[in-house]
Amino acid sequence: MRSDVREQLRPWLGEDVAFLERLSDDDLARLCDALATARRGQAKALAAASDEAYRQMPGPLRRGIARLVGR
Amino acid sequence: MGADLATRAELVKLARALGTTPDGVAFAETLGAGDIRRLRERVVSTLYDEHRAAFRRVAAITRTLPTSLNVRIALRAFSPLLAARIASEMPPERAAELANRMPVDFLAEGCVHLDPRRAEPLITRIDRARVIAVVSELIRRGDFITLGRMLDASTEEMLSDLSTTVPDEALLRIGLYAESGTQLTRAMRALPAERLRAVIHSALTGAPDVRAAALAVVSRVEDDELRGRLAAYAAELDDATLTELLHTAVAEDAVTELLTAVAAMPEPARTRVLALPALRDSAFHPGSPNTSCGTTSP
Repeated sequence: MRSDVREQLRPWLGEDVAFLERLSDDDLARLCDALATARRGQAKALAAASDEAYRQMPGPLRRGIARLVGR
Repeated sequence: MGADLATRAELVKLARALGTTPDGVAFAETLGAGDIRRLRERVVSTLYDEHRAAFRRVAAITRTLPTSLNVRIALRAFSPLLAARIASEMPPERAAELANRMPVDFLAEGCVHLDPRRAEPLITRIDRARVIAVVSELIRRGDFITLGRMLDASTEEMLSDLSTTVPDEALLRIGLYAESGTQLTRAMRALPAERLRAVIHSALTGAPDVRAAALAVVSRVEDDELRGRLAAYAAELDDATLTELLHTAVAEDAVTELLTAVAAMPEPARTRVLALPALRDSAFHPGSPNTSCGTTSP
Protein backbone atom coordinates (compact mmCIF):
# COMPACT_ATOMS: atom_id res chain seq x y z
CA MET A 1 0.00 0.00 0.00
CA ARG A 2 1.34 3.44 -0.85
CA SER A 3 2.67 4.91 2.38
CA ASP A 4 1.15 8.42 2.09
CA VAL A 5 -2.30 6.99 1.38
CA ARG A 6 -1.88 4.48 4.20
CA GLU A 7 -0.98 7.30 6.58
CA GLN A 8 -4.08 9.20 5.52
CA LEU A 9 -6.39 6.19 5.87
CA ARG A 10 -5.03 4.92 9.19
CA PRO A 11 -6.69 7.48 11.49
CA TRP A 12 -10.00 6.93 9.67
CA LEU A 13 -10.06 3.18 9.20
CA GLY A 14 -7.84 1.99 12.06
CA GLU A 15 -4.37 0.50 12.29
CA ASP A 16 -5.32 -2.86 10.81
CA VAL A 17 -6.05 -2.14 7.17
CA ALA A 18 -4.21 -5.18 5.81
CA PHE A 19 -7.42 -6.33 4.14
CA LEU A 20 -7.13 -3.35 1.82
CA GLU A 21 -3.75 -4.49 0.47
CA ARG A 22 -5.50 -6.04 -2.52
CA LEU A 23 -6.47 -2.59 -3.75
CA SER A 24 -4.14 -0.96 -6.24
CA ASP A 25 -2.55 2.39 -5.44
CA ASP A 26 -5.08 4.10 -7.69
CA ASP A 27 -7.98 2.34 -5.99
CA LEU A 28 -6.63 3.27 -2.55
CA ALA A 29 -6.40 6.87 -3.64
CA ARG A 30 -10.03 6.65 -4.83
CA LEU A 31 -11.06 5.24 -1.46
CA CYS A 32 -9.22 8.05 0.28
CA ASP A 33 -10.97 10.64 -1.88
CA ALA A 34 -14.39 9.01 -1.36
CA LEU A 35 -13.93 9.00 2.40
CA ALA A 36 -12.65 12.58 2.50
CA THR A 37 -15.61 13.68 0.36
CA ALA A 38 -18.04 11.80 2.61
CA ARG A 39 -16.56 13.44 5.73
CA ARG A 40 -16.80 16.89 4.17
CA GLY A 41 -20.34 16.21 2.96
CA GLN A 42 -21.42 14.99 6.37
CA ALA A 43 -19.86 17.96 8.17
CA LYS A 44 -21.61 20.33 5.77
CA ALA A 45 -25.00 18.59 6.12
CA LEU A 46 -24.75 18.52 9.91
CA ALA A 47 -23.65 22.14 10.07
CA ALA A 48 -26.58 23.21 7.88
CA ALA A 49 -29.02 21.13 9.96
CA SER A 50 -27.57 22.54 13.20
CA ASP A 51 -27.80 26.15 11.99
CA GLU A 52 -31.42 25.62 11.03
CA ALA A 53 -32.11 23.99 14.41
CA TYR A 54 -30.63 26.99 16.29
CA ARG A 55 -32.70 29.33 14.20
CA GLN A 56 -35.89 27.47 15.11
CA MET A 57 -35.17 27.11 18.82
CA PRO A 58 -36.66 29.31 21.55
CA GLY A 59 -34.11 31.94 22.69
CA PRO A 60 -33.32 30.70 26.22
CA LEU A 61 -32.81 27.13 25.02
CA ARG A 62 -30.66 28.32 22.12
CA ARG A 63 -28.19 30.02 24.45
CA GLY A 64 -27.95 26.92 26.68
CA ILE A 65 -27.33 24.61 23.78
CA ALA A 66 -24.81 26.99 22.19
CA ARG A 67 -22.84 26.92 25.44
CA LEU A 68 -22.96 23.12 25.65
CA VAL A 69 -21.91 22.39 22.09
CA GLY A 70 -19.29 25.14 22.09
CA ARG A 71 -20.75 27.47 19.47
CA MET B 1 -20.02 -3.94 -12.94
CA GLY B 2 -19.13 -7.63 -13.28
CA ALA B 3 -19.23 -8.54 -9.59
CA ASP B 4 -21.26 -11.39 -8.14
CA LEU B 5 -24.57 -10.74 -6.44
CA ALA B 6 -23.27 -10.61 -2.86
CA THR B 7 -20.43 -8.26 -3.84
CA ARG B 8 -22.84 -5.99 -5.71
CA ALA B 9 -25.13 -5.81 -2.69
CA GLU B 10 -22.16 -4.86 -0.50
CA LEU B 11 -21.01 -2.22 -2.99
CA VAL B 12 -24.48 -0.67 -2.90
CA LYS B 13 -24.29 -0.54 0.91
CA LEU B 14 -20.77 0.91 0.87
CA ALA B 15 -21.92 3.55 -1.61
CA ARG B 16 -24.80 4.43 0.72
CA ALA B 17 -22.41 4.76 3.67
CA LEU B 18 -20.14 7.06 1.68
CA GLY B 19 -22.99 9.05 0.17
CA THR B 20 -22.07 8.17 -3.38
CA THR B 21 -23.22 5.85 -6.19
CA PRO B 22 -22.28 2.17 -6.66
CA ASP B 23 -20.13 3.25 -9.61
CA GLY B 24 -18.35 5.63 -7.25
CA VAL B 25 -17.15 2.67 -5.16
CA ALA B 26 -16.56 0.20 -8.01
CA PHE B 27 -12.85 0.41 -7.10
CA ALA B 28 -13.58 -1.78 -4.05
CA GLU B 29 -15.03 -4.65 -6.10
CA THR B 30 -11.80 -6.68 -5.99
CA LEU B 31 -12.07 -6.91 -2.20
CA GLY B 32 -15.07 -9.25 -2.41
CA ALA B 33 -18.24 -9.11 -0.31
CA GLY B 34 -16.65 -9.93 3.08
CA ASP B 35 -13.93 -7.29 2.97
CA ILE B 36 -16.21 -4.65 1.45
CA ARG B 37 -18.43 -5.20 4.46
CA ARG B 38 -15.41 -4.78 6.80
CA LEU B 39 -14.49 -1.59 4.99
CA ARG B 40 -18.07 -0.31 5.30
CA GLU B 41 -18.12 -1.02 9.02
CA ARG B 42 -14.92 1.03 9.45
CA VAL B 43 -16.34 3.82 7.30
CA VAL B 44 -19.54 3.87 9.37
CA SER B 45 -17.52 4.05 12.60
CA THR B 46 -15.41 6.91 11.27
CA LEU B 47 -18.34 8.96 10.02
CA TYR B 48 -20.65 8.38 12.98
CA ASP B 49 -17.97 8.83 15.65
CA GLU B 50 -16.68 12.07 14.17
CA HIS B 51 -19.34 14.40 15.60
CA ARG B 52 -20.50 12.21 18.45
CA ALA B 53 -19.35 14.40 21.30
CA ALA B 54 -21.55 17.32 20.23
CA PHE B 55 -24.60 15.09 19.76
CA ARG B 56 -24.01 13.50 23.15
CA ARG B 57 -24.12 16.93 24.75
CA VAL B 58 -27.38 17.81 22.99
CA ALA B 59 -28.78 14.40 24.01
CA ALA B 60 -27.90 15.23 27.61
CA ILE B 61 -30.09 18.35 27.48
CA THR B 62 -33.13 16.29 26.51
CA ARG B 63 -32.93 14.53 29.87
CA THR B 64 -33.82 17.76 31.62
CA LEU B 65 -36.92 18.48 29.52
CA PRO B 66 -40.33 16.78 29.52
CA THR B 67 -41.02 14.40 26.63
CA SER B 68 -43.76 16.55 25.11
CA LEU B 69 -41.42 19.56 24.95
CA ASN B 70 -38.63 17.43 23.49
CA VAL B 71 -40.98 16.22 20.76
CA ARG B 72 -42.11 19.78 19.98
CA ILE B 73 -38.53 21.04 19.80
CA ALA B 74 -37.38 18.09 17.69
CA LEU B 75 -40.19 18.45 15.17
CA ARG B 76 -39.83 22.21 14.97
CA ALA B 77 -36.06 22.54 14.98
CA PHE B 78 -34.42 19.24 14.06
CA SER B 79 -34.19 17.67 10.65
CA PRO B 80 -34.55 13.86 10.65
CA LEU B 81 -30.77 13.69 10.12
CA LEU B 82 -30.04 15.70 13.24
CA ALA B 83 -32.76 13.99 15.28
CA ALA B 84 -31.41 10.55 14.34
CA ARG B 85 -27.86 11.46 15.30
CA ILE B 86 -29.02 12.86 18.66
CA ALA B 87 -31.29 9.84 19.25
CA SER B 88 -28.29 7.59 18.68
CA GLU B 89 -26.68 9.20 21.74
CA MET B 90 -29.73 9.10 24.01
CA PRO B 91 -30.67 6.28 26.37
CA PRO B 92 -32.77 4.01 24.10
CA GLU B 93 -35.81 4.11 26.42
CA ARG B 94 -35.88 7.91 26.21
CA ALA B 95 -35.33 7.96 22.44
CA ALA B 96 -38.12 5.39 21.95
CA GLU B 97 -40.46 7.48 24.09
CA LEU B 98 -39.91 10.40 21.71
CA ALA B 99 -40.11 8.21 18.60
CA ASN B 100 -43.51 6.92 19.69
CA ARG B 101 -44.87 10.48 19.43
CA MET B 102 -43.32 11.44 16.12
CA PRO B 103 -44.84 11.23 12.63
CA VAL B 104 -44.08 8.11 10.63
CA ASP B 105 -42.45 9.91 7.68
CA PHE B 106 -40.10 11.77 10.06
CA LEU B 107 -39.13 8.45 11.68
CA ALA B 108 -38.67 6.74 8.31
CA GLU B 109 -36.26 9.47 7.21
CA GLY B 110 -34.57 9.31 10.61
CA CYS B 111 -34.01 5.55 10.25
CA VAL B 112 -31.85 6.24 7.20
CA HIS B 113 -29.48 8.31 9.37
CA LEU B 114 -29.59 6.30 12.60
CA ASP B 115 -26.22 4.96 13.74
CA PRO B 116 -26.54 1.28 12.71
CA ARG B 117 -24.46 0.24 15.73
CA ARG B 118 -27.03 1.74 18.09
CA ALA B 119 -30.25 1.00 16.21
CA GLU B 120 -31.23 -2.27 17.85
CA PRO B 121 -31.89 -1.17 21.46
CA LEU B 122 -33.90 1.78 20.14
CA ILE B 123 -35.99 -0.01 17.51
CA THR B 124 -36.89 -2.86 19.85
CA ARG B 125 -38.36 -0.30 22.30
CA ILE B 126 -40.57 1.53 19.80
CA ASP B 127 -44.23 0.46 19.60
CA ARG B 128 -44.58 -2.43 17.18
CA ALA B 129 -47.42 -0.79 15.27
CA ARG B 130 -45.23 2.27 14.72
CA VAL B 131 -42.31 0.15 13.54
CA ILE B 132 -44.58 -1.59 11.03
CA ALA B 133 -45.81 1.80 9.82
CA VAL B 134 -42.19 2.97 9.37
CA VAL B 135 -41.35 -0.25 7.51
CA SER B 136 -44.32 0.32 5.18
CA GLU B 137 -43.15 3.87 4.53
CA LEU B 138 -39.61 2.69 3.75
CA ILE B 139 -41.02 0.05 1.39
CA ARG B 140 -43.05 2.78 -0.31
CA ARG B 141 -39.79 4.72 -0.74
CA GLY B 142 -37.99 1.62 -2.02
CA ASP B 143 -35.31 1.96 0.66
CA PHE B 144 -34.42 -1.71 1.04
CA ILE B 145 -30.91 -0.96 2.31
CA THR B 146 -32.26 0.72 5.44
CA LEU B 147 -34.82 -2.07 5.79
CA GLY B 148 -32.08 -4.69 5.51
CA ARG B 149 -30.33 -2.96 8.40
CA MET B 150 -33.55 -2.73 10.41
CA LEU B 151 -34.11 -6.45 9.97
CA ASP B 152 -31.07 -6.94 12.20
CA ALA B 153 -32.76 -5.01 14.98
CA SER B 154 -36.06 -6.90 14.79
CA THR B 155 -37.38 -9.07 17.59
CA GLU B 156 -39.23 -12.35 16.94
CA GLU B 157 -42.54 -10.50 17.44
CA MET B 158 -41.58 -7.85 14.91
CA LEU B 159 -40.51 -10.51 12.42
CA SER B 160 -43.86 -12.15 12.86
CA ASP B 161 -45.62 -8.80 12.20
CA LEU B 162 -43.43 -8.18 9.17
CA SER B 163 -44.17 -11.61 7.73
CA THR B 164 -47.85 -10.73 7.50
CA THR B 165 -47.55 -7.12 6.34
CA VAL B 166 -44.60 -6.92 3.94
CA PRO B 167 -45.36 -7.73 0.27
CA ASP B 168 -43.57 -10.71 -1.34
CA GLU B 169 -41.25 -8.74 -3.59
CA ALA B 170 -40.25 -6.35 -0.80
CA LEU B 171 -39.43 -9.27 1.49
CA LEU B 172 -36.92 -10.59 -1.02
CA ARG B 173 -35.40 -7.20 -1.72
CA ILE B 174 -34.96 -6.67 2.03
CA GLY B 175 -33.39 -10.14 2.19
CA LEU B 176 -30.87 -9.18 -0.47
CA TYR B 177 -29.57 -6.35 1.74
CA ALA B 178 -30.05 -8.04 5.12
CA GLU B 179 -27.00 -7.62 7.32
CA SER B 180 -27.36 -10.92 9.13
CA GLY B 181 -28.08 -14.32 7.60
CA THR B 182 -29.35 -15.43 11.00
CA GLN B 183 -31.99 -12.69 11.13
CA LEU B 184 -32.91 -13.32 7.50
CA THR B 185 -33.40 -16.99 8.38
CA ARG B 186 -35.63 -16.06 11.32
CA ALA B 187 -37.66 -13.73 9.11
CA MET B 188 -38.20 -16.39 6.45
CA ARG B 189 -38.99 -18.99 9.10
CA ALA B 190 -41.70 -16.70 10.47
CA LEU B 191 -43.62 -17.05 7.19
CA PRO B 192 -46.35 -19.70 7.02
CA ALA B 193 -45.57 -22.46 4.49
CA GLU B 194 -48.17 -21.30 1.96
CA ARG B 195 -46.91 -17.70 2.10
CA LEU B 196 -43.34 -18.91 1.66
CA ARG B 197 -44.37 -20.93 -1.39
CA ALA B 198 -46.23 -17.93 -2.82
CA VAL B 199 -43.20 -15.67 -2.24
CA ILE B 200 -40.91 -18.03 -4.13
CA HIS B 201 -43.39 -18.64 -6.95
CA SER B 202 -44.16 -14.96 -7.50
CA ALA B 203 -40.46 -14.07 -7.33
CA LEU B 204 -39.37 -16.65 -9.86
CA THR B 205 -42.07 -15.59 -12.28
CA GLY B 206 -41.25 -11.92 -11.68
CA ALA B 207 -38.65 -9.44 -12.90
CA PRO B 208 -35.00 -10.61 -13.24
CA ASP B 209 -33.79 -8.57 -10.27
CA VAL B 210 -36.49 -10.12 -8.06
CA ARG B 211 -35.48 -13.60 -9.29
CA ALA B 212 -31.88 -12.77 -8.38
CA ALA B 213 -32.97 -11.50 -4.96
CA ALA B 214 -34.82 -14.79 -4.42
CA LEU B 215 -31.67 -16.74 -5.28
CA ALA B 216 -29.69 -14.60 -2.82
CA VAL B 217 -32.22 -15.29 -0.07
CA VAL B 218 -32.26 -19.05 -0.72
CA SER B 219 -28.48 -19.19 -0.57
CA ARG B 220 -28.18 -16.93 2.50
CA VAL B 221 -30.60 -18.68 4.85
CA GLU B 222 -28.67 -20.59 7.48
CA ASP B 223 -31.08 -23.47 7.96
CA ASP B 224 -30.69 -26.46 5.63
CA GLU B 225 -34.27 -27.60 6.15
CA LEU B 226 -35.63 -24.14 5.31
CA ARG B 227 -33.34 -23.83 2.29
CA GLY B 228 -34.51 -27.26 1.14
CA ARG B 229 -38.13 -26.16 1.41
CA LEU B 230 -37.49 -22.93 -0.52
CA ALA B 231 -35.63 -24.86 -3.22
CA ALA B 232 -38.45 -27.41 -3.38
CA TYR B 233 -41.00 -24.62 -3.93
CA ALA B 234 -38.83 -23.32 -6.76
CA ALA B 235 -38.65 -26.81 -8.26
CA GLU B 236 -42.47 -26.92 -8.47
CA LEU B 237 -42.33 -24.40 -11.31
CA ASP B 238 -42.32 -25.46 -14.95
CA ASP B 239 -39.24 -25.94 -17.13
CA ALA B 240 -39.67 -22.61 -18.92
CA THR B 241 -39.65 -20.68 -15.63
CA LEU B 242 -36.66 -22.60 -14.30
CA THR B 243 -34.82 -22.02 -17.57
CA GLU B 244 -35.47 -18.29 -17.14
CA LEU B 245 -34.03 -18.61 -13.65
CA LEU B 246 -30.85 -20.21 -15.02
CA HIS B 247 -30.45 -17.38 -17.51
CA THR B 248 -31.03 -14.82 -14.74
CA ALA B 249 -28.38 -16.49 -12.61
CA VAL B 250 -25.83 -16.11 -15.40
CA ALA B 251 -26.86 -12.56 -16.30
CA GLU B 252 -26.84 -11.41 -12.67
CA ASP B 253 -23.64 -13.31 -11.73
CA ALA B 254 -25.63 -15.39 -9.27
CA VAL B 255 -24.47 -18.83 -10.44
CA THR B 256 -23.07 -19.67 -7.00
CA GLU B 257 -26.43 -18.85 -5.44
CA LEU B 258 -28.21 -20.87 -8.14
CA LEU B 259 -26.04 -23.93 -7.52
CA THR B 260 -26.67 -23.66 -3.78
CA ALA B 261 -30.40 -23.65 -4.48
CA VAL B 262 -30.21 -26.55 -6.94
CA ALA B 263 -28.11 -28.58 -4.49
CA ALA B 264 -30.82 -28.06 -1.87
CA MET B 265 -33.61 -29.33 -4.14
CA PRO B 266 -35.05 -32.72 -3.37
CA GLU B 267 -34.75 -35.54 -5.91
CA PRO B 268 -36.10 -35.93 -8.56
CA ALA B 269 -36.46 -32.13 -8.92
CA ARG B 270 -32.69 -31.64 -8.86
CA THR B 271 -32.17 -34.13 -11.68
CA ARG B 272 -34.93 -32.42 -13.66
CA VAL B 273 -33.25 -29.01 -13.31
CA LEU B 274 -29.83 -30.39 -14.16
CA ALA B 275 -31.30 -31.92 -17.32
CA LEU B 276 -32.62 -28.60 -18.60
CA PRO B 277 -31.23 -27.86 -22.09
CA ALA B 278 -30.12 -24.39 -20.91
CA LEU B 279 -27.48 -26.05 -18.75
CA ARG B 280 -25.68 -27.10 -21.91
CA ASP B 281 -24.94 -23.41 -22.53
CA SER B 282 -21.28 -22.54 -22.23
CA ALA B 283 -22.05 -20.13 -19.39
CA PHE B 284 -22.55 -23.05 -17.03
CA HIS B 285 -19.49 -25.03 -18.05
CA PRO B 286 -16.47 -25.18 -15.77
CA GLY B 287 -13.97 -22.46 -16.53
CA SER B 288 -16.51 -20.21 -18.19
CA PRO B 289 -15.86 -16.57 -17.32
CA ASN B 290 -19.49 -16.17 -16.25
CA THR B 291 -19.38 -19.11 -13.89
CA SER B 292 -18.10 -18.33 -10.42
CA CYS B 293 -18.58 -21.89 -9.18
CA GLY B 294 -16.78 -24.93 -10.61
CA THR B 295 -19.30 -27.40 -12.00
CA THR B 296 -22.92 -28.21 -12.59
CA SER B 297 -22.53 -31.96 -12.38
CA PRO B 298 -24.96 -33.72 -10.06
